[in-house]
Amino acid sequence: MDSRTARFLKTRFQNYYKNAEIGLPDHLPNREWAFIFYDDMPDKMMHRHKAFGSPGEAFDYLYGMAPAHVYNSTAYYEYPDARKMNEKNWLGAELIFDLDADHLPNAPRNYADMLELVKKETFKLMDFLLDDFGFSEQEIELVFSGGRGYHFHIMSPKVLALGSAERREIVNYISGKDLDFKYFFREVAMDGEFGAGSKTFKGMKSVPVKCTLVGYDSGWGKRIALYLTDYMKAECRKKYKKDMFPELRRYEKVGDTTIKKLINLTNSENGLSDILKKGRLDFDVRNFKDIAAYFMKESVEDFLQRFGASVDEPVTADIKRLIRVPGSLHGGSGMLVKKLALSELEKFEPLNDAVIFGERPVKVTVSKPFSVQLKGRDLTVEEGKQEVPEYAAIYLICRGVAEYGHRRNQPGSI
Amino acid sequence: MQADELAYYPFISEASTHVENLGISLDSLLNSRAYRAARVRGIERVKEALEGEIRKPPVSGEAQILSELLSYPFARMLVACVDDQLFTRRYALAEAKAAYTLLRNENPAFLLKIGEDFGISADFKTSYFNMHFTDYIRFSNSLKDPAWKLTNRQFRAGEVKITREEFARLLEEAVREHIEQSFPIPEIPAEVTSFCAPYVAEIKDQFEIQKKKFGATDFGTVEPELFPPCISHALANAQGGVNLAHSMRFAMTSFLLSVGMSVDEILNLFNISPDFDAEKTLYQIEHIAGATGNVYKPPACDTMRTYGNCVGKDRLCEKINHPLAYYEKKIYLKNREREKEEEKETEKKKEAGKEEKKKSGKEKEKES
Repeated sequence: MDSRTARFLKTRFQNYYKNAEIGLPDHLPNREWAFIFYDDMPDKMMHRHKAFGSPGEAFDYLYGMAPAHVYNSTAYYEYPDARKMNEKNWLGAELIFDLDADHLPNAPRNYADMLELVKKETFKLMDFLLDDFGFSEQEIELVFSGGRGYHFHIMSPKVLALGSAERREIVNYISGKDLDFKYFFREVAMDGEFGAGSKTFKGMKSVPVKCTLVGYDSGWGKRIALYLTDYMKAECRKKYKKDMFPELRRYEKVGDTTIKKLINLTNSENGLSDILKKGRLDFDVRNFKDIAAYFMKESVEDFLQRFGASVDEPVTADIKRLIRVPGSLHGGSGMLVKKLALSELEKFEPLNDAVIFGERPVKVTVSKPFSVQLKGRDLTVEEGKQEVPEYAAIYLICRGVAEYGHRRNQPGSI
Repeated sequence: MQADELAYYPFISEASTHVENLGISLDSLLNSRAYRAARVRGIERVKEALEGEIRKPPVSGEAQILSELLSYPFARMLVACVDDQLFTRRYALAEAKAAYTLLRNENPAFLLKIGEDFGISADFKTSYFNMHFTDYIRFSNSLKDPAWKLTNRQFRAGEVKITREEFARLLEEAVREHIEQSFPIPEIPAEVTSFCAPYVAEIKDQFEIQKKKFGATDFGTVEPELFPPCISHALANAQGGVNLAHSMRFAMTSFLLSVGMSVDEILNLFNISPDFDAEKTLYQIEHIAGATGNVYKPPACDTMRTYGNCVGKDRLCEKINHPLAYYEKKIYLKNREREKEEEKETEKKKEAGKEEKKKSGKEKEKES
């Protein structure tokens, strides 16, 4: 980026920061802030260890400096402006999750599709946060990162003191890592304490046992019940019996009789609801518990793909992370880092709703052909001198494929 | 809580308040004949901890209960004077295990009460407990059995379902952590130090002997063939001129420093790296070594995996969760092997006849 282009961006950002609604973090004086400035471009030097005592100070600073990137610490410190990390005195940190297309397997290359895929992942994570972890909607702050994903901030008092290892365990839960089905498909004595697992009871040699899907009504247990019953339903919808349950036929305990019984079970009135609503696995089908466990084990990859959410583990585990400030602009896209209510996510279109600059035509020199959908329009630019709406100009410049103004010689790319 | 209960669980805050309220001076705890039994039991506590298990036989009668209770602060003084992190950990573990043995048989209400002291929010529901997940992972994290993984638990609305037995086990972890973190004690009065000195010397000697057996943390000569796979791999890469990722470079350097290699020796290792810049590398190594006041420990296995620096587990890796623990264990195994060899040697020597013995005996006489 040349200096003229940097100056252009800075003025446009400054204009935004004049009236911007910045989502200041709670306990503002205990947060560390960090910035990358246009004046330092192309060196991406991070200026950190900054702290603001009051909202006014922060707003004035943002307007005065109009930084390219704005971050604050997820951590609360006693001395957030101390130059050395161990002198800051860590007091706690928000629990954060970063969902980013960069970390998704087989993410599409097209920006819009990529964002759509991340959104799906975001819904999965939301399910975990609300149902499993029991956070209320008020405790969860959802933010579009202005780039390729979403951030979740959780500030409920119980989580602030969690260390790195504990936060990693939370990520493991969400991704389903270490999931072992043997803890879910179990034989439980009909009487006796939960988890006692004893087969002798009050002098009786063998207490009646039932096979159950432990925890069928919550957490991963619930997801297993759903996956299993969905599979059974789908198989029984097939036209020919011989095509049903091919996966199970590979298992030595499954023969034709078992398949027939499985079909009956699936089509019976209470069969599937007994699994979903009661966790029962002891049916007319012999070894149903083992068959179900076998099936889950074989399909674990697909199962985790459907239900597990892949969040960026090092981000969550880092208790001294810097994260983009809601209401600031992302210097790599020019888009708004936008706070969203959970209910807004469904309809949120980042490439429209997070684009804040106007339509005024701006001259740019494009260094390589580029296409993107912005504000519902397919925008394709060729190399060379172009005139595009301001929002597109800023996007192209921020992505590093254009310089401001019309140039005689094409500038070197950055 | 009853006085005898406090005596069994002397680490809870109510117990320490109780002891404070008794108004016993430090001087009398150290010197008064009235507290002799407490001191004896305190020393026993620490020694039992060295062996691995503190036994807590039932106590009865006011005097016995008081001795048992006061033996804990006295034992803590001894541990503080030994002032060795590894020993502190050993002691905390032994106290925690003893607590677990007792806790297993306590009723739910009592477990909840002890839990409260460690800030655990939980509820008892007719046959099981619900524990808030933040408390659950805080204490289950150090437990290796996959049954403890949050993923494998019944978990709903922030609450993890656990049995009474499991609650007691988590409390053991809480006790261990609590005691571990209560050391080191910042300013130990001179009178305590001098009073404890003879016992401390004895404990230290015994601990040294054990440490040698166990491989210990003071590694002596560096033995690269005993390094864990991740470090060996990185070393081979560094020496083969392959560039290491920053996080791996950090992990390797901090590991090598921890096992006793010098900054110069490590600098030589990096010498072959393609982007070698002596001054920069020196700065980085010294930074990790603590020149700026921060001493960096090598990352644990979890972190290594997070950053993709784990090259795959071997059988020993399954049993540890830190690269240094791997190395410690290997050294221990090697030392044990060597001891066996030596024993064989001495046996042989004994059989070889008394001639040599006589000779060496004479030589020794001369020397003295």
